[in-house]
Amino acid sequence: MTTTSAETVIAPVRAKAAASGATVRRKQGFQHGGWFIAPFLLLFGMFVIWPLVRGIYLSFTDANISGDGASFIGLDNYREALGDQAMWDALGHSAYFTLLVVPCITVLAFLLAMLAHHIERAKWLWRLCFFAPFLLPSTVAANMWQWLLTQGIGLFNETFGLTTPWLTDKSYAMTAIVIETLWWTVGFSFILYLAALQGIPAHLYEAAKLDGANAWQRMVHITLPMLRHITGLVFALQALASLQLFDQAVAMMDFGPGPELSTRAFVQYTLEQGFTSYRVGYASAMSIIFFVIIAAVALGRMVLLRNREEGGR
Amino acid sequence: MGIPPLNRRQVLAGLGGAAVAGSLGFATLGTGADALASGADVRVRYWNLFSGGDGANMIAMLDAFRAEHPGIAVKDSTLQWGNPFYTKLAMAAAGDRAPELGVMHLGRVAGFSPGRLLDPWDEALLAKYGVRKADYNPVLWNRGVIDGKLYALPLDIHVQLCFYRKDVLKKADLLGDDGRMIQVTSTDQWFDVLKKARKVQKKGLQTIGLWTNDQNFQWWFFVAFYTQLGGQWFNDDTPANTEVLFDADKATQVLEFFRQHVTDGYVIPGAPTGEQFINGAPFTWEGNWSVPVFSGAKLDYGATPLPPVFGKPATHAESHSFVLPHQANRGGATNEAAHQLAAYIVQHAQQWAAGGHIPAYTPTLSTAAYKKLTPQNEYASAMDHQATEPKVWFAGSTGVLAQDLGPMVVSSTMGSAKPASVAQRMKKELAKLLASKNPMDGTTAAQGGAVA
Amino acid sequence: MTTATTTTPALKTPKTLKTLKTRKARRPWTPSQIVLTLLGVAVSAVFVAPIAAAVLTSLKSETEAAEIPPHWLPKVWTVQAWKALWETGNVSNWFVNSLVVSVLVTAIVLSVAALAGYGFARTEFRGKGVLMGVVMAGLMVSPAVLGVPLFTTVQQMGMVDTYWGMILPQCAPAAMVYILYKFFQGIPKELEEAAFIDGAGRWRVFFTIILPLSRPSLAAVGIFTFISSWNNFLWPYMVTNNPDLMTMPNGIATVMNSYGIQWAQLMAGGLMAGLPLIIVFVFFQRQIVAGVAHTGLAGQ
Repeated sequence: MTTTSAETVIAPVRAKAAASGATVRRKQGFQHGGWFIAPFLLLFGMFVIWPLVRGIYLSFTDANISGDGASFIGLDNYREALGDQAMWDALGHSAYFTLLVVPCITVLAFLLAMLAHHIERAKWLWRLCFFAPFLLPSTVAANMWQWLLTQGIGLFNETFGLTTPWLTDKSYAMTAIVIETLWWTVGFSFILYLAALQGIPAHLYEAAKLDGANAWQRMVHITLPMLRHITGLVFALQALASLQLFDQAVAMMDFGPGPELSTRAFVQYTLEQGFTSYRVGYASAMSIIFFVIIAAVALGRMVLLRNREEGGR
Repeated sequence: MGIPPLNRRQVLAGLGGAAVAGSLGFATLGTGADALASGADVRVRYWNLFSGGDGANMIAMLDAFRAEHPGIAVKDSTLQWGNPFYTKLAMAAAGDRAPELGVMHLGRVAGFSPGRLLDPWDEALLAKYGVRKADYNPVLWNRGVIDGKLYALPLDIHVQLCFYRKDVLKKADLLGDDGRMIQVTSTDQWFDVLKKARKVQKKGLQTIGLWTNDQNFQWWFFVAFYTQLGGQWFNDDTPANTEVLFDADKATQVLEFFRQHVTDGYVIPGAPTGEQFINGAPFTWEGNWSVPVFSGAKLDYGATPLPPVFGKPATHAESHSFVLPHQANRGGATNEAAHQLAAYIVQHAQQWAAGGHIPAYTPTLSTAAYKKLTPQNEYASAMDHQATEPKVWFAGSTGVLAQDLGPMVVSSTMGSAKPASVAQRMKKELAKLLASKNPMDGTTAAQGGAVA
Repeated sequence: MTTATTTTPALKTPKTLKTLKTRKARRPWTPSQIVLTLLGVAVSAVFVAPIAAAVLTSLKSETEAAEIPPHWLPKVWTVQAWKALWETGNVSNWFVNSLVVSVLVTAIVLSVAALAGYGFARTEFRGKGVLMGVVMAGLMVSPAVLGVPLFTTVQQMGMVDTYWGMILPQCAPAAMVYILYKFFQGIPKELEEAAFIDGAGRWRVFFTIILPLSRPSLAAVGIFTFISSWNNFLWPYMVTNNPDLMTMPNGIATVMNSYGIQWAQLMAGGLMAGLPLIIVFVFFQRQIVAGVAHTGLAGQ
């Protein structure tokens, strides 16, 4: 996933191509490489690279939303951001959400996959039920839960005999969003686990059975180790997605910051600065800070992966 | 045999191709499905933030306009109230994709960069369609004037009210001979009223709806009661807006008053207030825009301005106004049609008054039909006791001021912070805001900002 | 590093299904199967309940939907919310817009990512390694991360409030390029070499040999792209101000119809946005599950 890992993959290909010495192919085929990649590069440059560059530039200015009259103000935005308690709070909310969601989703997805994998009848039904919420748009799923959790008129409290102010008390609001998120997105990780479970060769279990291993031992010694890779993947994908919390939080809180600002996520605060306070320069600085955080998490995972792979060898 | 898979694949490919081709054509036209269907000569896009009863009245007025002016197609769009609305309006104006006509709260106009995100009204054109400055309360009209130009044409004034259910209050003997709620002039009296009402009300419901966790309502209520105590915000002698005059003691008094509703158990924090009132809760504090909702539910109810528990009557008031979002090429027939539409609605606001608002166009106010409206006639006096936010760039409905201070009020009412310390924090925040620069023009409130 | 080319079991289609069916008939109800199945039913009920609640609420009158205390089944069944939705809302517009945006995003992503994936996998040019690294770094950029600068960029291009403004920024997915790149790498080179010897050019090889071989992978990428585009909220929310142009998730969340929050109508609208994919899922379950698993697993 990085320059280096791509390089290691490409290098042998190159060597092979050189060794085969197929001059015809070299001449005829490989000259088109640029053209194959050009359309993608154009879009990629316009909507990924350029905004990144532009964001870095804007972060050093006091640009506003109307797009004119920006002047260079050096590191002021970054200085302000680092001292902005509201930004740290928002980052804290996103991080807290991530810490709650990621382990829960991983465990839940695994359990659901085990369940769906081991029931022999109507397999399609379990898949459908566990996966269907993932097919709903984020805002629709959020509206459904907002409705279920509204005090007095919501069916959730009614059904379980509670009177919890889920959406309006700061000690419950984030939990409500976590519950909604578990329901809405666990299907994706569930599918990954299910695919991985189905990919474990049956003969491993058969051999273990012959050796007298019981169901629990088979799970601990075969299933779990075989799923280690996928768990790392689910963890990483979920962490990156959860840090970018936005849709469900705003949709469940009527586009507000939640009770006493308790659910205002980093992305939401950035957009508020840009589009409500019209401070595009400041919002850009926060975007860049966020990019660095996201990149750090992604790189951290890769370093871990590499270490483990090297250690394993 | 052998044929089916190939065939199905071809059909799928054909369908896919058709879908892509159709979508491509659609996207190239780029105007949206609705635009294709409209055949009128002049099209006015009109964005508003009216939902609930207001939305229904606005649609009725628009339909009346459409019937009288078939040559003008009015495409009205309602966006969710609050920040998304202002955000989208600002973004549309900045991206030169703005609609011809928009609605805004008057208090937001000053900070919305008139001249950059807003275009000025052509007063001659308005006069041509029957709306003149003389038809307005001059103070109200001038709130929309910035640097000598009219940027906002007021449609109404709206206030925060205390709604009460006559059926419940009657049982508690809280109605006067005129069938209206008895007068309350102190906090002790007020809590006495709540206590009596609670005894007779339906169980399982709250006694009063206070929007305890809504930063906007809590902020408006705060402004109202803080004004009742005679509290000030900033100095207004020249140079104005250089000094914070916020009185933390008075603020503490207000915050403690709010908090007591929760500690005494008159409020179920977080319960939806309107639904509670309709289901039988005796009181709720709401904007006057809830009038059609409660009337529609066929409730026996009344509405007074927020009770003057601190002596001097005052209740929070704002104004909806028409604005012209900035368009690089504003002018011509569509612009004139926008003027015509706004002028028509302002003059035909009788319907609008049914939504609980006080029409800003004074000729409407003096009609007998308006004077007969209930419960509007019960709270019309609120007009004389308006509590408004300070006139600075960061003020206005869901503006930076409300966004920063509203959550503080909520935290006190909900009990997660002490009223006295919250009052201090509010004062500190006001000082910070006063020193901060309007991102649109780089000036502080003291430097004038955009406020004339 | 397991690659994208590992065929997921779900891809092995009719045969597995048939064997499953015959086996199913013979397997007895063991106690553990009974317990597991009951557990499955219970958990499924929990998962389906919110959607069921939405369906039931959409069949209530607005007053009944806001009643305290609430109840699951409508006392009076009515389709007024669904009717009102069609009569007053912009929902039909939004549906068309969602379709236009998702179809075009899927088509563009498929073409662009297939070409680029192949280009990276099988052609040589200077700076390829560096370029590949840059593309992989792009995996970390999304509208959530770089929303404000991305918006100002699109604003500069004059594409705020246009279909293209919604579509094009969704069309540079580094992840999809990576997935197809991995897949193309797994295709045996001999296939191409034979064609080259016959005098076929690089482009012809791509279209006549590579693409037909990659149908499952392309389907996976297409399905995943369509789902995420249909459900995308953040970017369309940022870039559309004109309610005529909004997509379903955005319109339902931001533009209320002119009669306020009405729960029955809101649920009906949400179901209209969500049900099409769920219904499609019922019929193409195998392909969609394979597609999602395939694209997800490729990140390994």
